[in-house]
Amino acid sequence: MRPTTRLRQMLEAPGIVVAPGAYDGFSARLIEAAGFRCVYMTGAGTAASHLGQPDLGLATLTEMATHAGHLASCVSLPVIADADTGYGNVLNVVRTVREYERAGVAGLHIEDQVAPKKCGHIAGKQIIPVQEFCDKIRAASEYRTDRDFVIIARTDARAVTSLDDAIERGNRAAEAGADVIFVEAPQSEDEIHRVAREVKAPLLANMVPGGKTPAVKIPELERLGFKIVIFPAVCMGAAVPAMERALASLKETGTDWHDGPVLSPMDIFRRVGFDWWHAIEERFAPRS
Amino acid sequence: MRATTKLRALLGTGQTLFVPGCYNALSAKILEAVGFPAVYMTGYGTSLSLLGLPDAGLATMTEMHLNARYIANAISLPVIADADNGYGNAIGVIRTVKEYIQTGVAGIHLEDQAIPKRCGHVAGRMVIPIEEAVGKYRAADKVRRDLDPDFVLIARTDARGAHGGSLDEAIRRAHAYLEAGADLAFVEGPTSVDEVRRICKEVPGRIFYNQTGISPRFTLEEMNDLGIAVTILPGATFRATIQAVYDFASDLKQRGPEAEADFNERFKGHPLGNVHRFAGFDQIREWEEEYLPAAEMEKYTDSVGHQPTKS
Repeated sequence: MRPTTRLRQMLEAPGIVVAPGAYDGFSARLIEAAGFRCVYMTGAGTAASHLGQPDLGLATLTEMATHAGHLASCVSLPVIADADTGYGNVLNVVRTVREYERAGVAGLHIEDQVAPKKCGHIAGKQIIPVQEFCDKIRAASEYRTDRDFVIIARTDARAVTSLDDAIERGNRAAEAGADVIFVEAPQSEDEIHRVAREVKAPLLANMVPGGKTPAVKIPELERLGFKIVIFPAVCMGAAVPAMERALASLKETGTDWHDGPVLSPMDIFRRVGFDWWHAIEERFAPRS
Repeated sequence: MRATTKLRALLGTGQTLFVPGCYNALSAKILEAVGFPAVYMTGYGTSLSLLGLPDAGLATMTEMHLNARYIANAISLPVIADADNGYGNAIGVIRTVKEYIQTGVAGIHLEDQAIPKRCGHVAGRMVIPIEEAVGKYRAADKVRRDLDPDFVLIARTDARGAHGGSLDEAIRRAHAYLEAGADLAFVEGPTSVDEVRRICKEVPGRIFYNQTGISPRFTLEEMNDLGIAVTILPGATFRATIQAVYDFASDLKQRGPEAEADFNERFKGHPLGNVHRFAGFDQIREWEEEYLPAAEMEKYTDSVGHQPTKS
């Protein structure tokens, strides 16, 4: 079954879809191994891991779509990918949808920030007029080639204008053809409740530790009626301090051999599909 | 010598540097074979040849700079590349200039169009405020001074033909961009000989002239007299390609495979008619003779096909 159809079915079935954020192939593999049903490709994580740059709209459509394709091809789960502003106007949005479709992801989100965009949880964002945003969503929805491809409309209006405006934009984007609405960065539990009550469409919640939105646990989000929850920072948030500790230890001790469990090369390969490839080799490779 | 230093030397002759456009590595190789001293990578032609799309800001920075890299690697001439509006604000420009410098091109032009841009000879263009544009050129200048001071920075303004624009505004902007650190000023889309004269007289710096679309045509001698430092013909090779490929394809469609046989007969006497040689197989054989085990060269005996020439 196509990943788009699988994600559609998950959205139609009861229950919330939990999509931890992958920032590279390794983290996508680990998300699948941990038993989650969906992977989210974080744009901030892509810029940070792929380019070593902050999430300031520096990553190009080509880089984002290529990265999304790498994630989609290393896991068998549907991938929801960050597509920022759609990298320009309506024409760029149409190209973006088609590139992401071909990358094999199941859905994307497009936001109403002015290009070049900024991370949703830092200051200085600007947004485009609501009509322009709706035109982008309508174009995205009409010009996808696979009807099951999931279009998620994200509004960054909360930080720029008001929560009321964000809710209004969410509803307008749903009328324009968005399958799911993503109101970025509500600032309190009350605001989260209002989004859940007042946006008349399936909803995505974004949980970022240290961001503007308070932490709400998965069962509570499900009870509030959210259909998808993404945790963009979960893998990168764990990996970065771990790498920092390991590097500090290497500097201090002069070796990266240490007491405690060690990850051998084979332990690493196994986590990225070694056994699957080895089985093929066993079946087909000529024996010497 | 680095390509950037070579281009600086070509710019220092006091004569108009005449640079035809290429749109991919192959067309660049042809321009080199004909004997031009430098080539220009057209964004219009890159978008059309790489993506089959019009020059409407759809090509990404990644696609543009990769094409520039392929071109710079394919030839030993300096390349001037189209870098559109730098693909973002001043922050995006910082990344763009770095990426382009790393491709090995010798210079780029950056324009003051709003995102997404479009061809400078198609209506519907918009420009960003002059203060914002100046920030982008200052950023570009800083990056190239840090990485390669010889890298040539050409500031293009679309203010002549943009919505609400004028030649006065374009000249004012060209002046400001030169002060911000650009080496050459590129006023896009003058529509008459008088306008070009005014640009050459009133812009206090070296002039980059795009002889295409709605702009007047000059001989090289006329451009020398006007004091134009560089002139490009961006569409020259891709237009010729479109016509040649279309005509040949139509012939194929009408007459079938015989048309190709006839073409090959005519092509034999052409300076590039030995395509395998033009592609560089002789060089490969030379490298093989020099670096591979001698026994491996036996693969050429009793093997059917084009035999690369031994040096």
